[in-house]
Amino acid sequence: MTSTIEDRASRRPTLELIKELEQTLYREVRLLDQERHDEWMEMLAEDLHYHMPGIETRYRRDKTDTLHDLSRMCYYNDDKSTIQLRVDRLKTGTAWSEDPPTRYAHLITNIEVEPTERPEEYTVYSNFYAYRSRNERDEDTLVGSREDLWRREGDRFLLVKRFILPKWSVLLSKNLNVFL
Amino acid sequence: MTANGQVNSGEDFGRFIDLRKGWVDRRIFSDEKIYQRELQQIFARSWNFVAHESQLPRAGDFLTTYMGEDPVIVARQRDQSIKVFINSCPHRGNRVCFADAGNARRFVCNYHGWAFDTAGKLSGMHAEYAYDENDIDKSQTRMQPVAKVAAYKGLVFATFDPDTPSLDDWLGDFRWYLDMLLDNEEGGTEFIGGCIRSEFPANWKFGAENFVGDAYHAGWTHDSGARATTGGIPFPDIDMENSFHSSVNGHGWEFGTEGVGDISLLGSPAVMEYYEKLRPKMADRLGKMRSQIWGSVASVSLFPNISFLPGISTFRIWLPKGPEKFELRTWVIVNKAMPEDLKREITKRVMLTFGPGGLFEMDDGENWSNCTTVNRGEVTRRQLLHYGSGISRRVDDHPILPGTVFRGQYSDANQRLFYERWVDLMEAKSVKDLPQRPEPRMTGRETRELVGVSAL
Repeated sequence: MTSTIEDRASRRPTLELIKELEQTLYREVRLLDQERHDEWMEMLAEDLHYHMPGIETRYRRDKTDTLHDLSRMCYYNDDKSTIQLRVDRLKTGTAWSEDPPTRYAHLITNIEVEPTERPEEYTVYSNFYAYRSRNERDEDTLVGSREDLWRREGDRFLLVKRFILPKWSVLLSKNLNVFL
Repeated sequence: MTANGQVNSGEDFGRFIDLRKGWVDRRIFSDEKIYQRELQQIFARSWNFVAHESQLPRAGDFLTTYMGEDPVIVARQRDQSIKVFINSCPHRGNRVCFADAGNARRFVCNYHGWAFDTAGKLSGMHAEYAYDENDIDKSQTRMQPVAKVAAYKGLVFATFDPDTPSLDDWLGDFRWYLDMLLDNEEGGTEFIGGCIRSEFPANWKFGAENFVGDAYHAGWTHDSGARATTGGIPFPDIDMENSFHSSVNGHGWEFGTEGVGDISLLGSPAVMEYYEKLRPKMADRLGKMRSQIWGSVASVSLFPNISFLPGISTFRIWLPKGPEKFELRTWVIVNKAMPEDLKREITKRVMLTFGPGGLFEMDDGENWSNCTTVNRGEVTRRQLLHYGSGISRRVDDHPILPGTVFRGQYSDANQRLFYERWVDLMEAKSVKDLPQRPEPRMTGRETRELVGVSAL
């Protein structure tokens, strides 16, 4: 990445950088699918904000901002410490709804990388398709888009912000014990 | 019951439960015919929760919800009253409003452009010349209104049956308990913006009965959530001497008197501190007993499908969507007088613990769905379910606590009395004839004005 200083200056991500961030996103969901949560936590910045708003269906003429208003109900409005609580729960040995384990597959697509005001931080857009299967034939799919902020730190990237926009209104699933 | 296990309409529903022996027939959780009777006998005749007043502050504010499986629009009028009517056009029956919430001067059907005012009355139509003079009486054409709308301290209810007893009688002495949530501080309560909805492949009664009395499941089902939030400490043992079930007309509040159990599950020192400062004022307002109950390990349901956790601030309804499906709608309820940053903190913490991805909530759905779907087995569903816990622990004439009271928080008492009310409704020809269970102690409307309340 020796040539990136100039590229950042010109604010155009190189193919190499895009590839590196793509690989970071893929690695992240592989860790999640394999339940390697401690390693996943290491990809999260200390100042993480992990946000997924609730969805309210409103008419087009209604300009109420239901998506970014953090005083409203959100599926996730977490910092790293509360994400840690969720991970700790999985490690207690008594998270019954995860034993037998859920089978997960996250598909990540539509990745776009944009520079930000800060040279070490990049906005990364992506879509996700998360499939879950439990026990005999319980299954569901969760589809949505994400807007991330990733920060370069040494030879890796850390997730600083994630805004997850779910595409459902009523969650057609009895729980959301999954990271997206 | 017929030989093949199907239920005939007009059946004796009392045969599905036995309060004395303590069992429930599992067919009530999966049988399609019983479910259809529930829609007729229970949801079409009960006071259904439709809104909190704070959700509709201005004229024209509306939201859409369901009473049973009937879709309704709930709208604030110019005179500040709230009207509730079925979200279906009287012309061809199309659904009229597709938004969850908003503000509107009128509702217009997409099919032929029939327009309705915020009270649901026909106010105009596309190409009115399609109708000759005597074809339609516009003044009588409207989206079907409910029979009655009433509010209790911010909670708005509606019923389709004009014979349903008044909301005050329906809630009865349970208002003594309800005021711990709705009236623990000057100014009352409000809902935080938004509503999180999720669908469970489970019978609606499993949600309602869990909150009406099932303290017992918490220490096992939610062990992982408890350990995660406390750094490894499981739920403490229950003080069976100083904890209770209380039931009024099928509504139930199971509770301890230790004062902090539910609040501490939120894991927020700021919330704990707020309630501890409030507690002496609550004692002045509602009496000492209620100020001690508030915040304890507790859960509550109002018959038939409304639940909340006092001190944890989650408020919810279990909307029936078929015998093996319900939609859970959840809100966050806070005191109006709380500072904004505390309201935010509570909202975050409610979602962290009792949202669909919550540390506690996420283990419930598995249980309720599997309790339901396993009954597809013909022989499986012939086995009666055990509801006998605490069956002999009834406390007669408790000096303070209204309702039918059982000692010991680990108990099936409120669940049994919930199903007793279920039988009352399923069998009642008219809801005028519903018995009061038990006979009420309260006479006035205001529980704060009960004689001697501040001494209690």
